[in-house]
Amino acid sequence: MNYFAGIDVGALSTEAVILDGKGELAGYSIVGTGANSTEAAEEALQKALVLVGRSYDEIKRTVATGYGRACVPFADKKITEISCHALGAHHLFPDTGTVIDIGGQDSKVIRVGEGGKVLDFTMNDKCAAGTGRFLEVMAAKLQVSLDKMGDLSLRAGGDVRISSVCTVFAESEVVSLVAQNHPKEEIIRALHRSIVNRVWSMVKTLGVHIAVTMSGGVAKNRAVVSFMEEKLGHSIHVHTEPQIVGALGAALLARK
Amino acid sequence: METITRSYPPARKDYLRQQKESHGRKLFGVFPAQYPREILWAMNVLPVEIWDPPLEVSHANAHLQPYICSVVKLGLELILQGKCGDLDAFLFPHTCDSIQNLASIVYDYLGLDKPCYFFYHPKAPYGSASRVYYMEQLKSLVSQLEKQLGLLDLSELNRRVAHGQRVATLIRELYELRTRGALSLSNVQFYKLIRYGEYLHPDDFIPLLERFLGESKAENRKRPAVILSGVLPNPPEILSLLDQFGVRVADDDLLGCRRRLLEPPGKAEDPFEILTEGYFNMPPCTTKDSPISERLDYLIEKIKLTGAKGVVFYMVKFCEPELFDVPQIVEELKKRGIATLVIDLELNQGLSGQLATRVEAFVEMIS
Amino acid sequence: MSLVRNLRYHFMKDLGSPALMRFSRATRKRRSRQPNPNFGPPLEASARLKEIMTRHYFLSRYAEGAKPVAWVSSGAPVELLRPFDFYTVYPENHGALCGAQKMGPELCSVAEEHGYHQDLCSYARIDLGHYFSRKTPAGKLPKPDLLFASNNICQTVVYWYKALAHYWQIPLILFDTPYNFEEINGIDIAYMVRQFEEMIPTLEKVSGRRFNYRKFQGIIRIAKEASNTWGEVLDTMKARPAPMTIFDAFGHLAPIVSLRGLPVALEYYRTLLGELKERVDRGMGAITNEHKRLMWDNIAIWYKMRDLSNLFAARGMNFVTATYTNAWAETIPYMAESRPFESMAKTYSLVILNNNLNHRLGLMERLIKEFQVDGLVIHSARSCKPYSVGQYDLRRLLMQRLGVPSVVIEADITDSRAYSEEQARIRMEAFFEAMGV
Repeated sequence: MNYFAGIDVGALSTEAVILDGKGELAGYSIVGTGANSTEAAEEALQKALVLVGRSYDEIKRTVATGYGRACVPFADKKITEISCHALGAHHLFPDTGTVIDIGGQDSKVIRVGEGGKVLDFTMNDKCAAGTGRFLEVMAAKLQVSLDKMGDLSLRAGGDVRISSVCTVFAESEVVSLVAQNHPKEEIIRALHRSIVNRVWSMVKTLGVHIAVTMSGGVAKNRAVVSFMEEKLGHSIHVHTEPQIVGALGAALLARK
Repeated sequence: METITRSYPPARKDYLRQQKESHGRKLFGVFPAQYPREILWAMNVLPVEIWDPPLEVSHANAHLQPYICSVVKLGLELILQGKCGDLDAFLFPHTCDSIQNLASIVYDYLGLDKPCYFFYHPKAPYGSASRVYYMEQLKSLVSQLEKQLGLLDLSELNRRVAHGQRVATLIRELYELRTRGALSLSNVQFYKLIRYGEYLHPDDFIPLLERFLGESKAENRKRPAVILSGVLPNPPEILSLLDQFGVRVADDDLLGCRRRLLEPPGKAEDPFEILTEGYFNMPPCTTKDSPISERLDYLIEKIKLTGAKGVVFYMVKFCEPELFDVPQIVEELKKRGIATLVIDLELNQGLSGQLATRVEAFVEMIS
Repeated sequence: MSLVRNLRYHFMKDLGSPALMRFSRATRKRRSRQPNPNFGPPLEASARLKEIMTRHYFLSRYAEGAKPVAWVSSGAPVELLRPFDFYTVYPENHGALCGAQKMGPELCSVAEEHGYHQDLCSYARIDLGHYFSRKTPAGKLPKPDLLFASNNICQTVVYWYKALAHYWQIPLILFDTPYNFEEINGIDIAYMVRQFEEMIPTLEKVSGRRFNYRKFQGIIRIAKEASNTWGEVLDTMKARPAPMTIFDAFGHLAPIVSLRGLPVALEYYRTLLGELKERVDRGMGAITNEHKRLMWDNIAIWYKMRDLSNLFAARGMNFVTATYTNAWAETIPYMAESRPFESMAKTYSLVILNNNLNHRLGLMERLIKEFQVDGLVIHSARSCKPYSVGQYDLRRLLMQRLGVPSVVIEADITDSRAYSEEQARIRMEAFFEAMGV
């Protein structure tokens, strides 16, 4: 049987997905990208192969995507993460009309058409607001562990708002809110609302087309998904492992 | 692939020096965008357009806020770094608020020792008053220039107006060949050639264009086509990326390029009338306040003629005239199934990985 | 125009709005604000101002379909519209109102979601945000039949109105004022006069009324007198202590901008002038301890007016003059009903923002001397390029020539997201130290 591989080299993490000849997901892996994208790509693929119990020569074709796709010398083709996320999300949830991908350093909203084709897209990659980095900075400021941020915010109520669009300004706002003795949970909740608002305006720019699928590391944050669902007025598809959507799309393209 | 020999003109600095020394021409630094170059040629002046000098902005930040576009910042930087020593004067067309105030900063506040000329062109919607005014502005510019340069010889003006038309005819031919897919120049080479018009004298530009036309015809270079819209093709790295993907820029709606391209002349004979007609017949442009419907009609016509699948809006950051039109133009194009990409750029910043990804994703969309 | 709507409009004008004014006066008496010790007693005329503007926006709800409606830019020669009985709306005034009500970011976001870049003028983004959402603190704005703009204040207003013209598919009339690089000459004036003549057929068509020259002259007379009176109002602030602050003046500006040419504006300024003269006679200052006198450059920071007013008043600093408020009085001497088109061409093309920076420097020097200004606060407004580009040099030159200390506040007119409280505070503290307060 032939196998197909998709590698998504992100700024922070690298994913590898392996599909079998029937196009079924055989296995995947996630590693930290670190300083060397090429090594990370090799490592991710190796790990996935081990998981699947196969060797590299059984891979018929490999497609690389993501920020570091140019650094994958063994890839047969390089395709942008926009096309890959669209196809990957469509494969997982065929009714996908919009993909919201919030990554560590950038976020994108993609309008998906028939067959998982990209109809339109918009990206935010110039500033930290609306990306995982925003939550990272704020978690550090509040001295809270990043993976607890989502749950903490869901515990809170309250009306606190962060008005700044800029991460640096927002940080100052957090400091003054803490000084005013607002409970941490409420501030974290406001921060989550803030990141969702930022991304939501990107969605509105493209026009809302359900069903919406969220991908990327930040989709693991239940609060972000929950607040986004509130904005949308509809439930949102999230795969059990939202980080692999890009690599999955790449693997599907490898198989085409 | 390139078996044809092409000799490009000398480097800009050397060329300008030559013009001064060998031809005794005065050099005028001209800011974007619309101005009657034929008048300057006729008075033995070489207009040197200042769009995107390759400089690091530092001095200009003491005079301009961060929310001012890089065309204006780079232009001011050029002056402040003392790199305009060879220029004999400046000409500021009234293009937008930022250039307007830049002109005043330079003239009123910097204490430069050079004459500054200003050219206010009428804005749309046009009436008959607009035409009369434009003609009078041309003549007024001439009288001002005469104080520095001596009297204008009308026969020389006629000659240079004809040259202006010749340049336009040649460039139009290049554009037409490109649209038909019959031009062997890459995107990068095409715009490099066109942009020579920013400082090459017609005596040199005309033979250059003729030579390129002679050598660049090709067969069946159709490939997927896009249209570029915006101010100028900077950074050129996007053009080379499109070349890499085999995507052809089939036409453009760029202020520095096609929007200033003269249409074939009408029946006027008086040179001032010809120039006036020329101004009003040029393609629609935001610096003239052309209505959005005119710009849409123009772009849609181009899309039909070229078979382009998409339009790339090459926006210089903070460029208000362009950014106000974009939403409605994009909306209309999307309705017609045309792919659009709007990119926000700082000049001379090359191509970041993120920008490249956007362009690549766009190419994937139209392929 | 519909007869029913016309009747309803007049009913509201003659009966509805007076009733509303009586009601609001009654409720206001029950809600009196705590007096602030830094300020003198509030101006009585302010109540009348509020009535006038509330009435204006109240009637806006009924104007659509009742009268021809024009949306007008703040520097446009509105006197030409009045004889045609256009109901005028000023989106910039509406934008300022939205800014003051802290609705700037919300409306701007709506425009941004529709593709308008966040670096564009925030008055325009608010207006476009209103177009898409119809949200407004002013009740309801009537849809325009015509857009009337002049680029004497900026080119952006034309790009903005062009976008509106396309959305609404209505005519845009532009009064194109050549920029004064060195002088406005005969050719420029002739161009502007011809433009006026060419506008009339469109105005007649849209309004359904014939142009009445006599009426037009009468309106110019009223506008001129109102602007002169406004100028006198501003002049009262030469007194020590000044009877009003520029922050108040930013509010009192509304009638001369948006109701110019109408008798109500003239009457209002006469009332205001009377009260201010009385205060000057009695030595009543706007702030209780006027130690330092300041000038403000650029449009207001609409969402920060009260805070800034308090901040400065608490330190005994009063803003006694501003280039912005001065703009509606400065060029009015050119206006002459005997040569209406020609004089309006001069009046409107020589306004501060259509004039070279040398002129601005001279103007600011004159104001500093006449109003005995000790310091200058420069609002570098992201939205307003013609006002803001050149400010850094102005600051330097004023320091050089007159030794006037100044501070630059980077902010925006209505988009509070562009304002950093922290940064502004640090700069102002340094300024206070320089001023010795």
